[in-house]
Amino acid sequence: MSKYRAYLRAVLITAEMTLRQNVADMFILFAILFQPLIIAILALWMLQERGGDYAIFVVVGSGMSGLWSSLLFIGGNSITSERWTGTLEALVGSPLPLQIVVFGKNLAQVLQSLGSMVVSYLLVVVLFGLDVSVAQPGAFIVSLLLTVITFVCFGLIIASVFVLNPDVQRWQNGLEFPVYILAGFLFPIALLPGWTTPISYLLSPYWAAQALHSTSSGSGDFSQTLLAWGMMVLSSVIYLALSKKLFDYVLKKARVDATLGMQ
Amino acid sequence: MNAIEVRNLRRVYKTTTGVFRRQTKEVVAVDDISFEVAEGELFGMLGPNGAGKTTTVKMLTTLLIPTGGIAKVMGHDVVKEAQEIRGRIGFIFGGERGLYWRLSGVDNLRYFASLYHVDPAVARKRIDYLLELVGLSDRRDEKIEGYSRGMKQRLHIARALLHDPEVLFLDEPTIGLDPVGARELRQVIRNLQSEKKNILLTTHYMFEADALCQRIAVIDKGNIVALDTPEALKKIVQDLTVIELEVFGIPQELVDLIGTQSFVDNVSVEDREQKQVLMVQTPRGAEAVPDLLAMFNGVRIGRVTTREPTLEDAYVRLVGGEA
Repeated sequence: MSKYRAYLRAVLITAEMTLRQNVADMFILFAILFQPLIIAILALWMLQERGGDYAIFVVVGSGMSGLWSSLLFIGGNSITSERWTGTLEALVGSPLPLQIVVFGKNLAQVLQSLGSMVVSYLLVVVLFGLDVSVAQPGAFIVSLLLTVITFVCFGLIIASVFVLNPDVQRWQNGLEFPVYILAGFLFPIALLPGWTTPISYLLSPYWAAQALHSTSSGSGDFSQTLLAWGMMVLSSVIYLALSKKLFDYVLKKARVDATLGMQ
Repeated sequence: MNAIEVRNLRRVYKTTTGVFRRQTKEVVAVDDISFEVAEGELFGMLGPNGAGKTTTVKMLTTLLIPTGGIAKVMGHDVVKEAQEIRGRIGFIFGGERGLYWRLSGVDNLRYFASLYHVDPAVARKRIDYLLELVGLSDRRDEKIEGYSRGMKQRLHIARALLHDPEVLFLDEPTIGLDPVGARELRQVIRNLQSEKKNILLTTHYMFEADALCQRIAVIDKGNIVALDTPEALKKIVQDLTVIELEVFGIPQELVDLIGTQSFVDNVSVEDREQKQVLMVQTPRGAEAVPDLLAMFNGVRIGRVTTREPTLEDAYVRLVGGEA
């Protein structure tokens, strides 16, 4: 088996096994299903005066909030959780690079988080009786695919930074809502002070939100969507390159400090 | 080429104490050990808890970076060529952890096979064979959380063998198992030995090392205190006789006093429910029994027997009764 085929296979099996394990996890079900539902209901009430395309804006925005929560809490803990279950040594001691495993785990989290969008859609259509349609279905699917990729790559950075610095991990709750706001999941960032805009530009979730909102509602011109796609690709490449260095450093440090296993 | 070569290996852990005035302390887990394991050999490391056995295995399996010395597995350096080693070794650490409890046995093995780049078609056959080997074929589709401790440890063995490794590291594989489970696992290890696998086994069960290993390194406080065949190690105590006395509530002062007698080479105590068994190694044989009994003033004594020394007695002599 060629190396890259073996990597692809390992990513898919890791994602499959992660999904199988997550089915029985109540916290994950809360992060993916119930929390976005609550956010969607609140957003619908707040935005109903706005009129126009707010329904699809809520579906996409609350779906992204589920995606981000899942990535931050579950993806962020992906290495630490392996350590707690005693499987990290088996993973590190195998010939497969650990970032491939984490990539597969993040892929599972992100894919299942898309269920948040389905839940929000059902809420808006069935419960609130609103009309929801995607303005540019083809471009929306491309945006969704790039969103999945860029979130998975972003998750690699989060997982390694959380392992390197447990203090950052303690800020998980504090990191959740700022990104909702800075990435413009549910409110345009134009409503925020100007100094926050550069921070938004550095976050790939912002470009994902831009692409998904503009292609679902049909607002904005296509050049903006292209820019968002380009930024997602660019940030994914940067995250991948950076994660290679971070993982090498994290694993070397863990082998020196003897922190791969629980004593 | 030797399967494993270790030269002056050393590993120091740093620990910190205190919250405000943090102090760093160094703990020497492995001081200075050297040995080699020949191809096809089943090599044992025997020692008490904390002797440095697991640390040594973790360095050899590339999970820990040594503080000093050189270690090579199949000719590859464990620090500089860790990646080359990882695909050629299998390892298990005793205990139940290290598996995905919410997955079935077969799914665990499918997953770990993918980590070792085992072709799916090969993996399917290999998983069937290994589940049969470790006696888990009929429970293959059940979640691990329903497995007994012994079943989990046998699944660990299957996991370690998925990619047909050249070198196998078994760190206390039978720890915590019931006698039947431990015997079954030892049979699996014997089967692997007959396949001429290179195996490094650590244990603190003497009979296990005696029954399985071709050579044994006795390790204590991070150093190898003896390295030989089980038969040669037993010769360390061949000039001695072991007197076993069943006693009830023997004070530690009396044990210490017995240990200072000129006719006593070594003394150790083993708790067995309400009673203790005092094991005295002596070159005087049964003649020492009256002198010994004369020291038990007021302590209730049960059965007294003498026997030939075993590997366990050699071990006790080497590590000073810290079995």
